[in-house]
Amino acid sequence: MFQLLGQLLQQDSEIGMILQSLFSFAFIIYLFYAQRIQAMTMLRQIETSLRKVKSLRDDGRKIAIEAIKKFGKPEKDPTPQVERFMDHFMIPPISMDPSGVVQKLGKIINVREFTFEREVAQMAPEATPSQRNNLENLLEAGLALNIFYKVIRHYYLMGKKTMNIYVIMQIHMILPQLIQQIEAYSAALQAFRDGIPIGDTVGPIVAAKLLDGAEVYEAAKEMAAGEIEYEGRRVIITKAWGPGGSVGKPGDAIRNILDKEKGKVKMLITVDAAGKLEGEGVGEIAEGVGAAIGGPGVEKYKIELAATEYDVPMFAVAIKQGMEHVVAPLVEELMDATDKAVSSVKGMILEYSVEGDTVIVAGIGNTVGVAQ
Amino acid sequence: MRLMADEGNARPLASGASQNWVSLALMVVVGAIALVSLYMGFQEYGNNEIETAFMYILIGVSGFAAIGFNFFRAKPVAKQAKGPKVVEVVTTLECPQCNLKRVRAHQVGDYIFKKDEPCTRCDGNMVITRINARKDPKDKKN
Repeated sequence: MFQLLGQLLQQDSEIGMILQSLFSFAFIIYLFYAQRIQAMTMLRQIETSLRKVKSLRDDGRKIAIEAIKKFGKPEKDPTPQVERFMDHFMIPPISMDPSGVVQKLGKIINVREFTFEREVAQMAPEATPSQRNNLENLLEAGLALNIFYKVIRHYYLMGKKTMNIYVIMQIHMILPQLIQQIEAYSAALQAFRDGIPIGDTVGPIVAAKLLDGAEVYEAAKEMAAGEIEYEGRRVIITKAWGPGGSVGKPGDAIRNILDKEKGKVKMLITVDAAGKLEGEGVGEIAEGVGAAIGGPGVEKYKIELAATEYDVPMFAVAIKQGMEHVVAPLVEELMDATDKAVSSVKGMILEYSVEGDTVIVAGIGNTVGVAQ
Repeated sequence: MRLMADEGNARPLASGASQNWVSLALMVVVGAIALVSLYMGFQEYGNNEIETAFMYILIGVSGFAAIGFNFFRAKPVAKQAKGPKVVEVVTTLECPQCNLKRVRAHQVGDYIFKKDEPCTRCDGNMVITRINARKDPKDKKN
């Protein structure tokens, strides 16, 4: 065996000469075309992912159309409207002059929500308000998948056209994270179609568990609020109005509650899902300070502004989860974590307030599949 | 041939045949023939048969060039996408009076804290207390 190999590698043997020539040829090719070969390899990987994304995008569109037909019972085929909706966009306000940019963004988001509500109402006239909210969320997931597909395709085609390795590398480097997000949105399709709680629902579940069937009223648009008594404290709890998929306007709800209480509130606790770092467990609970709320920042701004005006300390409880859990159907670990978060909130109330105090607890997140 | 194109824009993203096990097997065969041709070419060159040697070497080099070309031009065939991942979701119902617990498959219209169905053990109404995806035994990571 080794003798044979030795013979092969000998310069004067014919096979040795062939191998030597091939190696030399490959070396020369690689010397001049290394970058091009690398670019082509990356393009192949991007194309494989692009095919997968296209398939998920098409499935998203199909599921949305089927759900609209099933729940909305429209008179005409909703496909053209859905197709049009998939290209909907929002232009954020100019930030060169930052003064008032949050209010401007808030206004644009309100118009966007209004547009979505109108579109869904037209597409699905027979759907109940909860079903309409779920359909809105379903269409948003489809819209996100469409944008992901178009962006990846843009960089792929541009890279192919220019064969510029730096254009190709831009998309190739972030492809794993993009695929993770795309898979998460793809999992959201089932959740929003069937009204299943998602990872982001943990905040509203904690709030609903604290409410424990107490009477609720509308504190702001799509926001429920109710009161309970806990160890001599008055606890006002707010969450998005369920069970349809909605995040509500927690900033407005907290502002209204604080105005109503004339600022006589000892503490404000926000409970929300938070991104976990690699190595952290799903459903781990962390306590901190500040406003635990994601999104574009408008609601966070409103909460911070109201709490600062009334000098109310802000506490936060975060329920850790991965990117793949946020919009996917709620996993067992996160469902269990809501009980731990309830204990955590109760512990905070006992530690930082005294009997007779008023405390606000806000369960932040999408309340799909959770009533109050 | 399956084209990766948008509606109204029938432009394939990559031209060339799809790369599957048939084309890979074909490449192996072409590679073997090219190697043998090169071997024959050098042998003929040793025998001073320059014209024959040139022909064999040309076939050999062309074979390897064809392999390289095919490798980069062929469309990568991703495993057929299975569509969005669908997980099994279960609903847990509890009776607040007698604490009877029941787990069933999720139905459209279920939501947490919904008074769902009469209890089979007492007169109470069962309430949905949990809705969650069932753990996939194959999924080892969280």
